[in-house]
Amino acid sequence: MKFQIEDVTVYFPYENIYPEQYSYMIELKRALDAKGHCLLEMPTGTGKTIALLSLITSYSLSKPSNPVKLLYCTRTVHEMEKTLAELKLLHNYQVKHLGPSARILALGLSSRKNLCVNPAVVSAENRDSVDAACRKLTASWVRALAAEDPRVSTCEFFENYEKASSDAVLPPGVYTLQDLRTFGKEKGWCPYFLARHMVQFANVVVYSYQYLLDPKVAGIISKEMQRESVVVFDEAHNIDNVCIEALSVRVRSQTLEGATRNLNKMSQEIERLKATDAGRLRAEYNRLVEGLAQRGNLPISDTWFANPTLPADILKEAVPGNIRRAEHFLSVLRRLVQYFKGRLQTENVEKEGPVTFVASINAQVGIDQKMLRFCYDRLYSLMLTLEITDTEEFMHIQTICDLATLVGTYTRGFSIIIEPFDERMPHIPDPVLQLCCHDASLAIKPVFERFQSVVITSGTLSPIDLYPRLLNFNPVVSRSFTMSLTRDCICPMVLTRGSDQLPVSTKYDLRSDPGVEKNYGKLLLEMVSVVPDGVVCFFVSYSYMDGIVNSWHESGILKEIMQHKLVFIETQDVVETTLALDNYRRACDCGRGAVFFSVARGKVAEGIDFDRHYGRLVIMFGVPFQYTLSRILLARLEYLRETFQIKEGDFLTFDALRQAAQCVGRVIRSKADYGMMIFADKRYSRHDKRSKLPSWILSHLRDAHLNLSTDMAVHIAREFLRRMAQPYDKTGAMGKRTLLSQEDLEKMVNGVSDMLF
Amino acid sequence: MSHKVTNDEGMQFNREEEEENDDDGDGMDLDAWERAYADERSWESLQEDESGLLRPIDNKTLSHAQYRRRLRTTSAARVQKGLIRYLYIIIDLSRAAGETDYKPSRMVVVARQVEAFIREFFDQNPLSQIGLVTLKDGVTHCLTDLGGSPESHIKALMGKLECSGDSSLQNGLDFVQGLLNQIPTYGHREVLILYSALSSCDPGDIMETIKKCKASKIRCSVIGLSAEIYICKYLCQETGGSYSIALDESHLKELVLEHAPPPPAIAEFAIANLIKMGFPQRAAEGVVSICSCHKEAKVGAGYICPRCKARVCELPTECQICGLTLVSSPLLARSYHHLFPITPFDDVSPSVANDPRKLPKNCFGCQQSLLNPGKS
Repeated sequence: MKFQIEDVTVYFPYENIYPEQYSYMIELKRALDAKGHCLLEMPTGTGKTIALLSLITSYSLSKPSNPVKLLYCTRTVHEMEKTLAELKLLHNYQVKHLGPSARILALGLSSRKNLCVNPAVVSAENRDSVDAACRKLTASWVRALAAEDPRVSTCEFFENYEKASSDAVLPPGVYTLQDLRTFGKEKGWCPYFLARHMVQFANVVVYSYQYLLDPKVAGIISKEMQRESVVVFDEAHNIDNVCIEALSVRVRSQTLEGATRNLNKMSQEIERLKATDAGRLRAEYNRLVEGLAQRGNLPISDTWFANPTLPADILKEAVPGNIRRAEHFLSVLRRLVQYFKGRLQTENVEKEGPVTFVASINAQVGIDQKMLRFCYDRLYSLMLTLEITDTEEFMHIQTICDLATLVGTYTRGFSIIIEPFDERMPHIPDPVLQLCCHDASLAIKPVFERFQSVVITSGTLSPIDLYPRLLNFNPVVSRSFTMSLTRDCICPMVLTRGSDQLPVSTKYDLRSDPGVEKNYGKLLLEMVSVVPDGVVCFFVSYSYMDGIVNSWHESGILKEIMQHKLVFIETQDVVETTLALDNYRRACDCGRGAVFFSVARGKVAEGIDFDRHYGRLVIMFGVPFQYTLSRILLARLEYLRETFQIKEGDFLTFDALRQAAQCVGRVIRSKADYGMMIFADKRYSRHDKRSKLPSWILSHLRDAHLNLSTDMAVHIAREFLRRMAQPYDKTGAMGKRTLLSQEDLEKMVNGVSDMLF
Repeated sequence: MSHKVTNDEGMQFNREEEEENDDDGDGMDLDAWERAYADERSWESLQEDESGLLRPIDNKTLSHAQYRRRLRTTSAARVQKGLIRYLYIIIDLSRAAGETDYKPSRMVVVARQVEAFIREFFDQNPLSQIGLVTLKDGVTHCLTDLGGSPESHIKALMGKLECSGDSSLQNGLDFVQGLLNQIPTYGHREVLILYSALSSCDPGDIMETIKKCKASKIRCSVIGLSAEIYICKYLCQETGGSYSIALDESHLKELVLEHAPPPPAIAEFAIANLIKMGFPQRAAEGVVSICSCHKEAKVGAGYICPRCKARVCELPTECQICGLTLVSSPLLARSYHHLFPITPFDDVSPSVANDPRKLPKNCFGCQQSLLNPGKS
């Protein structure tokens, strides 16, 4: 269908549209018009992605003189593929209606692991080793060597791509990663480098958050993007954590050992080079004297990491004289590593700001701030000079230089925390030195500044006014949409009391109370006997889950649960968890029924859907607060309070509730689905907690369901499941229209346009 | 009395029965308010709405549903229907059947509805046969083999009402599938499962069993008592049956009775076939003869098989001696009417119904007075 939103003709590939999608598009359109940033919350299962894609592409079609480019960021490769598949459908529709003029180029960009077609390279086990294997074949000096010596192997796909040079372009169309690989194989061109090249010309690019937020990667990939771009962060409820991760570094003793090995190897190389090709080292020295940290325009295959600091903060100065010579630089690094080693031997937890840390480095090993700041660039230059391709092996020394550069550049928003052991396991020494970034706005600031519109969207962004403060920007539009439903297919409940009417909670003082554990067990037991197929339980942490499952086992509750359903548990091991999930699904399919125990903030809570019969009920045991004794968290809270005036409690509650909303949101993925959500903690009934849930959950949370005990919850569950099992009218004939056709929209535009919501 | 008042029509209907009861003398001295308490269960016709207020059960949706059902049956006219049905009723008597969300317990309610269903079924499908199977302790128990006598089924069912253990859908289906496979092809194979449990503990892969059922053209329908289970839904989808969940006892009754009229035959299942049948004469009044079905000497009315002249007690049946299907022509006619259902009719609004001038005085079919329903 196609319809008008103000001056834009929107092409929408489906016959009908949900009312909330329509209003979502209107808001988005206004934000694009205003060339500003926006924050939109809409529940999953309402077709957020297609609404976004179809509006933005239609918007750029309607303004052919100044088309906008769409940079769509997803969290996972799976989501990337889904987005591209939707886009393909949309593109076909647009081409059908508008003819070839509507053709666009859209592609997904991912790491080499996902795009490589060279069988010898892609068989490596992880991402880093694929990257390293690729560089071994494609680095410019390797290729130069191969030109002389045919025994040196290169990648034929890359060679073909280079040979085709300017002819190597993708014809317009929508390319998923699979399509790119197929295209690459067909033509014999390397899909990864082709995609990286084409990113600059594409109308739509779908890639991961890191390509924009992590300065190390963004400097290479996203440098050339024009200002007239719309950046979309999908599923962005954790965007502040991604930003912080991008600027945080963690050094363990293994890293230091690895770094020492790297240094030894590098000094051997330097010795060798001195003997054979001293000219190369001298050339590097001269270049550094001239103030060029890098070798001018590098070929595409030689760039691998850019400076870890943000583009605006990189110094445009010459590398200081005392680290220009390779040997001198190495000895500086050696002293630095030695210093870190010394710091790691501490027995107390230490916390200091970057300024004091730099001062103590200067005092003890004589490395000043400026030298620290140039570490990364200097290392990079040296590695190029030494023609090192195995970047995986030299990861450790990169980490060290990373830390040095960051600590030398920033004085605010960071802190250094050294912990001799994990707080929760004080017997095992596991020293770690962490550079923690506390300010999420640092990493995302260049994105806001560079691009005219940034759209942050997710199913859970409540409370929506906190994100602008955390990320320090001014949205022109921030709205939260609810889901229009033909029937009340979600049933959230707050359970405050157990079957003996005593309050239940995972609060610190109640947590280990056997009565609470028993009440939780009883709740689950009652629920598994009335809920069919799959039930998912979320606990606040692994240790809490271990404890409570143990106590259920001892009291025999677990055995009773197993009479009704099989029990599966998420562990920290990915393979094990995947296996458990697989079997869980099978148990749900064959009618045996199953319970899945999982942890909020775990892998399952973030990425796995429990839609349809895989999750008829999700129980959130407790409020998933972060581990509040963690030093990193405390430091961040302090920073937030001082800088953004965000109270500790507010931030903790916000963070806990967005996790809880994420967990329970797993259960419903489309409008035809139905599911129940139980928040089992008395604290959820308090207004300050409850009000932070997303509005699409809140609007279904009735007053009568705010203070339930186990027996009442069971009764409600029974009734709800019976009601939902009845056949229903999908079009919503009973006065509630949830699907709008083209005529409806036209009528709406002509008549009262604000009758929605 | 198993009726529950759901709407006004039903209430009138109920009164009528009560009046009949009054003649028997037992309900004579019940006052109107007592009657409402004892029989009509008037509290059950109330429902709590979202804000906790009481209101009568929404008659509108009920009548809407009824209307839709009527449309469905009429629009399905001229559809080939299976008249000779072989139906197994699988009753789940696992632990879950002992739950008391239906009063007095799920299994009692189910048994009651199955009893009503069996009578109704044979009334509408005199040529068909039913067998009863229960699921208990993970094992399948066969209560009765396929047969055409309602009384023997009901007796067997009522004698065996206790529940324990898990239920296994797979075992039940496997068992029934084995039995139904032997049925001649003209018969329509059906399974009706009344499922209380929310899970199925199976020894093997139930998907295989479902495939087998599909291959043997068994139509499986499930009526759940508590919530929708994926595997049941899948089973019904695959085999062309219907899946429904009962809200309460009256709804359960409605759902069960929906299975009484023959379902439309699925095209690939229905092979037009000639069936050999005998129409025995009622004979041997007052003569002592050996009955072939009970294997004993009996006095009084019986039927004589036209082929082998053996005596049988009731119709329809299969002759024990020569295996001929024995029916009577009224039975055949009764089955036959499903093929030509009455044409759709319009509802008469109550205002018109009260206006005697606009209406004929008597029903054109049965000659009952329309002005005074209940009193012919």
